[in-house]
Amino acid sequence: MISPSQHRWADVIHRLEAGGSMLPDSPNNLKQIIGIYKAYAVPMDFYWRDLLYIAEQVFLNPLPAFKYLLPQEYLDRPNSYAGPAGSPRIWRGEASAHPELLAFMAKGEMGAMPRLLHHLWHDRINMEFAEACMQAMFWHQGMGGRFNDYLDSEPYRANADRAIKAYFRRNPLMLGLYKLWPEMMLEKVKQLSYYANLGLFWEVMAPVFFEMSDLYDEGKLTSVPEAMDFLVNGIFAIAGRPIYHNVMIEGECFEIVPKSEGFTWLYEAALPYVEAVFYRTSPFRGTKSYNAQANQVPDQQADFHYGILYADLFPVGSAGIPPTLLMQDMVHFLPPYLKEDYSQHGRGESDVLIQLGVSFQRSMYNVTSAVIQALRAALLYPLDDTNPDHLKANRQFFEAQMDRFLRPEARLGEIQTAHYR
Amino acid sequence: MATILETAADAGCFGTLLAAVDAAGLRNALEGTGPFTVLAPVDAAFAALPPSTVQTLVDNPPQLARILKYHVVSGARLQEELIRQPAWDSLEGAPIPIRCHEPFEVKNATVINANIVCDNGVVHVIDRVLLPG
Repeated sequence: MISPSQHRWADVIHRLEAGGSMLPDSPNNLKQIIGIYKAYAVPMDFYWRDLLYIAEQVFLNPLPAFKYLLPQEYLDRPNSYAGPAGSPRIWRGEASAHPELLAFMAKGEMGAMPRLLHHLWHDRINMEFAEACMQAMFWHQGMGGRFNDYLDSEPYRANADRAIKAYFRRNPLMLGLYKLWPEMMLEKVKQLSYYANLGLFWEVMAPVFFEMSDLYDEGKLTSVPEAMDFLVNGIFAIAGRPIYHNVMIEGECFEIVPKSEGFTWLYEAALPYVEAVFYRTSPFRGTKSYNAQANQVPDQQADFHYGILYADLFPVGSAGIPPTLLMQDMVHFLPPYLKEDYSQHGRGESDVLIQLGVSFQRSMYNVTSAVIQALRAALLYPLDDTNPDHLKANRQFFEAQMDRFLRPEARLGEIQTAHYR
Repeated sequence: MATILETAADAGCFGTLLAAVDAAGLRNALEGTGPFTVLAPVDAAFAALPPSTVQTLVDNPPQLARILKYHVVSGARLQEELIRQPAWDSLEGAPIPIRCHEPFEVKNATVINANIVCDNGVVHVIDRVLLPG
């Protein structure tokens, strides 16, 4: 009904217009993305619980040495979207911490030993990755939604002030510091509000990915577009979930970002997350270095392109958002079919972190496709609309989204091929 | 003449919208003197949203109220007035673009029945639920 696109990524645009994903539909692509969703969901089940624990309980502890040692209460905390009480119940599994996560926490790679030794030996879930994502959201700010504006508002300052004074009511030294440099502690509370934001975001994504993995195992998820559609429906189903930040101080709940502000999962968490983590993040120091004086780092934050969609995957901490920490977390929970797939390609086990990093990249192109399709559905027109003006508006939207992948670092071209591993 | 909510109740095709107004605690506000311009999605518009979308919102009244306020503009504004501006600020805060005059389209919704004048404002019936952004 409208003429073909002349965009460099016209093929991908036409696929999106036909209800597809940026990732081509093939059995191997489906296997890679579903397998990696499952491997990602297990550590994510730890990330969201610990992010909320830090935001709600650790709070301003000046020496938070044990913030990654999750108490039983948070391992038992029911996921709002799993288990019999889930509303809606996205995953048919249980609401408490995933059994594979608990098994890994008990033994790690080193075998059974006290939890503190696992922690000190770094034989554990790498929460530093989750904090890096939180910091990306906190640092970039202003990516849509109203969460960040609220953190600069008077009501927020008053809420934070009450919580800070209550938290340190028996600590005159910290109260004195607060009096001298109030902005310092306020800034820390703002960061903790982003811990809560990301924790609430991932509390949704973990059961979504677990359910997709189960559906695939049951033979009920059979194509990449089906996987994308499941994500689109999930985005809409949970879009209205409140984003808030509560702090528990000696049994009393302090609402720092109250639910009554009306902040939602879609606008205040999901969309800023995708922008900050999938697209932007920040240049990592590692094997790849950047010279800001030579303009190798953009002077506009909006032009940052160090997220997974642009990442050049290296085996050690380097560019892109899935630095080694996340890959290391995911390698513990790969489903057997993906382990077998990796053993038959590349250098087998010796480059498994890179292979799963590339699968992760494919899987996140599919998640980004779901976000693009959800935005199109929310703000524009159905794909089967009969009005040419509406189809042109959809085309313009898809082309604008694809403009972000014109820069040479984008991996959109690579993921169109099967040999990119 | 009847109020906006009475008119909607009489029409018989706004059951979901009226239930949502009650769940969000906006009934008193919309029964006030206003005046308001309400872009009212029909039941079929809510039914077209993916499963659980409406239920999650109904379970969380402040979030539901925010989406509903995106369907309200202050003042009683007929179609002739609305099309004079490219966009109007909603009570939610985000602007609602007027994308097309003939047929009359508000954002990505088509107005299927315009200019229903009520005691405390004007209703325009739309075929899709509007989402901010």
